[in-house]
Parts: sequence; C-alpha cells; structure tokens
Amino acid sequence: MTERMTTTYSMWNLFRNCRKAAHWRYVLELVPLEKDRHLSFGSLIHECLEVWHRARDLSAALDVIDRACPNRAQEEDQRRVWHLATAMMRGYAARYAQEEFEVVALEKSFEGEIINPETGAASRSFTLAGKVDGIVRIGDEHFLLEHKTAAGVDAGYLERLWTDFQITVYAYYVEKALGIRVAGVLYNILVKARLQQGAGETEEEFAVRRAELIAKSKTGKSSAKRRLPESDDEFQARLAAKYAEPEMFHREMLYISRDQFATLRAELWELTQAFLDARRRDVWYQNTSFCFQYGKPCPYFALCRSGGSPNVLENFYERRPPHEELRAADAERLSPAGANETF
Amino acid sequence: MLPTQKTPPKPNLNDLTVLVYGPSKIGKSTWCSHADGALFLATEAGLNNLDVYQVPIATWDELLAACKEIAEGKHAFKTVIIDTVDNAYRMCAEHICQKFKIEHESDLGYGKGYALINNEFYRVLNKLALLPYGLFLISHSQEKEIETRTGKLTRVVPTLPDKARKIVLGMVDIILFCDLEPTTGADGKPAHRRVIRTKPNTSYEAGDRTGRLPEVIDLDFAKFVSAFTQGLAAAPAASTAPAAASNPTATAAPQAKPRAAAGPTR
Repeated sequence: MTERMTTTYSMWNLFRNCRKAAHWRYVLELVPLEKDRHLSFGSLIHECLEVWHRARDLSAALDVIDRACPNRAQEEDQRRVWHLATAMMRGYAARYAQEEFEVVALEKSFEGEIINPETGAASRSFTLAGKVDGIVRIGDEHFLLEHKTAAGVDAGYLERLWTDFQITVYAYYVEKALGIRVAGVLYNILVKARLQQGAGETEEEFAVRRAELIAKSKTGKSSAKRRLPESDDEFQARLAAKYAEPEMFHREMLYISRDQFATLRAELWELTQAFLDARRRDVWYQNTSFCFQYGKPCPYFALCRSGGSPNVLENFYERRPPHEELRAADAERLSPAGANETF
Repeated sequence: MLPTQKTPPKPNLNDLTVLVYGPSKIGKSTWCSHADGALFLATEAGLNNLDVYQVPIATWDELLAACKEIAEGKHAFKTVIIDTVDNAYRMCAEHICQKFKIEHESDLGYGKGYALINNEFYRVLNKLALLPYGLFLISHSQEKEIETRTGKLTRVVPTLPDKARKIVLGMVDIILFCDLEPTTGADGKPAHRRVIRTKPNTSYEAGDRTGRLPEVIDLDFAKFVSAFTQGLAAAPAASTAPAAASNPTATAAPQAKPRAAAGPTR
C-alpha cells in the first residue's frame, strides 16, 4: 500500500475553489517567491495571541512583535506592522483583562481518517491533519477558539461565519482525534485599524500650501505652520484610542450541530474522489471566478495567465512542501516542551 | 479539424519573442541591431551611434500607428525591437490617463487605472507577438529587494512595474539578462566580460523556453545565433501544450505565437 497523502482544510478548500490553484500548490508544490504581507500580519497576530493566552503576559506578546520587526527604525513596512500589531495587542489585553473561558489547549494539532460515509471505511489515499488555534472551556462545554484578523466586521462577515467549512472540519476531527465533545466555536475577531502614521509635509509642500492660503487670504498673510511628521508615541496614542472603541474587537459564539458533521463527512469524501479523478486524468481546470477573491489576484494568477510559462514559474515561484502550517505542529510533537502541554 | 501532428519547435529567431534587459550602456541596443531585418521602435533616445532603421516614438498613439504599419506587412523588416519597453509602458500609462482625464493612474481608485494600463499594454504587445516577425523588447535593469519566506534577497530585474513585468515575462520565449562577469584580463588584472545569462537564478531573472541556449553566452549576437542554432540541432523534438500543462517545469517548446492568443483581446 502506498503512503497516504496528508491533507489539510486549506488544501480541500483550495481544491473546491479552484482545481488549477490546488494543482500548483499541492501537486507541483509551488509558492510565490515573494511573501504575502497580509498573510504575514495574520500569522504574527496568531503567534502573539498564543503567547498571550498561554501566560497572559503582555510584554512577552509584545516581544514577539519586536522580534518580528527588527528593522522598524529604517523600514516603512516593518514600522507599519509593528505599530498596528503593538496597538492591537495592547488593546486586546485591555479589553479582555478578564476572560469568560478557561484555556484547555493552544495551537493543538490533530490528524484523522477521512471516512467513506457509506461504508465507514477509511480512505486509502488521504488523511486529514490540522491545527486549531485553541480549545477553551465555558462552563461544562468545550469550544474551539478561532482567531481572525479582519479589515472590518459587517453583516456579511458575520453571516459568512455560519458557513465556515474550516470550523466544522476542525470540530469534527478534534472530537474524533482528541475525544472531546466540541459544542461550537468562539470566533475571536481583531479588526485592523486603517490609521496611517502622519508623514508631515516637506518644506516645499508647506511653501506651496502656505502660498495658496496667502492667495486666498484678504490680509495677504497666513499663520499656517508646517505639518511635522507624527512621532511614534503620538501615533501609538492615536491607535490606542482607536482600539479602545468597542467595534475593534468582536467575539461571536456559534454552536455546531451533529447534522453539520454528517454533511461534512459526505462533502469531504466527495472531494477526495474528485481529487483522485483529477489526478488520474491530470485535468485541473481553472475556476476563473476565483482569480480575484477579496479584490486581489490569486497567488497563481500570473502563472495561469501565462499558460504555465516556465519563465514565470522559474522566476516568480519556488518549490515548498505543502502544509507549512503543520510544520510547527510537527516540531511541537517532537519537542519535550510539547509533551508537557496541559491538554 | 483536430491536428494529426505535433507542432514542431520554431527553428527561427524571427518567430520568437525575446526580452533583453541589463544595465545602461552595456550594449543591449547594439546587440539587438544585429537581428535579421531589424526595425527599432525607439521610445527613448540612445540609438544615435547605431546605423539602424528606426521610428522615433514619443507617444502611445505613435507606437500604435507604427504597429499598424508593421502589421500591414508592406515592408522587408523581420524583427521589431521596442527600445525600451519601459518607456513604452510609461507612454501607455500617459495614454490611459489622458483618455480618462486623470493625472495619475491611482486616481481611478481600487487599482482600476493600473488594470486599464496593463490590459492595453498587453493587448498591443500580444498583437505584435502574434505577427510573423521576431519581437525583441529591451528593458533596463534595477536591483529589487524581495522578501521571501526565508529572508530578504536582492535581485536584478527589468525596470517594469511588477504587474507589467509578470505580463511580459509570461509572454516571452526568452529572457536575456545582460551582465558583466568578473574575469582576469590578458595582463592578469581584473577585468569584466560582457555576457548574456539565459537561466533564472536567485540573483536575477532570466529564462529560455526553447531549452536551446547555454547558461552563459558572450554578449555577441553572432555567438548567440550560433548557440541557438547548435541547440536546435541538439534538441530532441519537443511536444507542445499537453506536456507543458502536465509538467510545466519541463522545458516546453517555444510556442509564443499560437499560445499568446489565449490572453485577453479587445
């Protein structure tokens, strides 16, 4: 029997959305050479939240940010990330100084069988693995803790949570693999403030603005002063005020029904069969409706647009084994520290 | 209607689309001027010392007019050289800004201006690439810092905006990076040799879909043609699209002319 392929929610979700993209990532193992800044920010906040919920030590969480942005004094991108992440974590610690839940486990990995719902037999081709942000207890019930960073929380965002395939997958496998009955999910949403650090104006810009004001003035004078760049402390203060607003953090609790598990098992099995069929026939069609999700091109858009040109592939992509999100989990399983986890 | 034979690889340089980039004054235009039946669409000054056929281009409309004449085919030119494609892109951007009465492409909001420019730019390059002439695109080079998953690296890339660069690199058959390679002179002192690099590297962008070129060639058109011809003789008969689709890392036969039609057209 050949070794079974480890799969994740991310893989099945991508396969469901666009088979071509899944082929690039999970069969040919390609990733863009350049790191996606948006994903990096989410990963950084996830790491901070893990540190925070482990010991409720804000300085330890802020240290994570400092280490992630070592060149913030010189580099604009790092400075922006550092300011936003620092203010977000400070605001989060203040908002949730007291928690209603007890942390049972953090960054907990799992692996389980994919079952044929008709026969009850395990797939001979695939297993499913993943890692949940956390498992918490509220009263007598266990919930998955799912962190999300978002540009904003509106009605559409909240409605979409009900159809979150990922959480149903995780809840089902946590139950199966770890033997805990999962009542639902606690979405922990952190909103990214859209504030920008004031850049001030140059002498030349000030001169132009002042001349315009003088031209409009009846006295032929202006008391305008040059706008100076906003200092780091001033910007942090402005961000802190923003993060004191109620809508910057949101928690949403959803219960998961057992019917959702049955639907999940059936859908997951169907996906495995579709994947096997695509692999056997080497046919991976592109879902062009998925090329511009969330207003930005898919990471593989340039490759698809060029018809898989080796020039694009070799200059803009590199090979990386899939399921990078699980690698830290592997390390955790191997390390003595991982063995001491409270779960 | 369906084919009964595989499309043979294009044996002629005049059928290919080539991007040539490198630092100023290294000899990119001179190198291109040796191409068979070369016609320069000169979007920037710098050809004064070359004895070549050239059309000075100052605006996007002038470029379109020149392209229209080329497409009519009433001439003996065999290779069209856009020198530089960077300036052609800027002209395209100005054209779109004038058309939409905006000062800058970002004024249209949500990336619409950039998308309009890229579509127009791609439309015209694609149409030129489909003509039965060689298409050489010249670009300057710049160093770009790239943040990867494992750290930062500095890479030499053509001086086109990111999206335009991806479009151009995706449509060309060959990407040639003109570089100076440190060497030792006859007098034993450090010297530089002008070379063309044809394979990608973490330090620069390059590529050769034909699979015929050696990794490094002297910046000499005759040597380039010789290497291409020798590679053609040595290369096994390559198949086309199906092989490229199932295994894009394998060297695919050059297919710019028929395949370029897959892109958006207006």
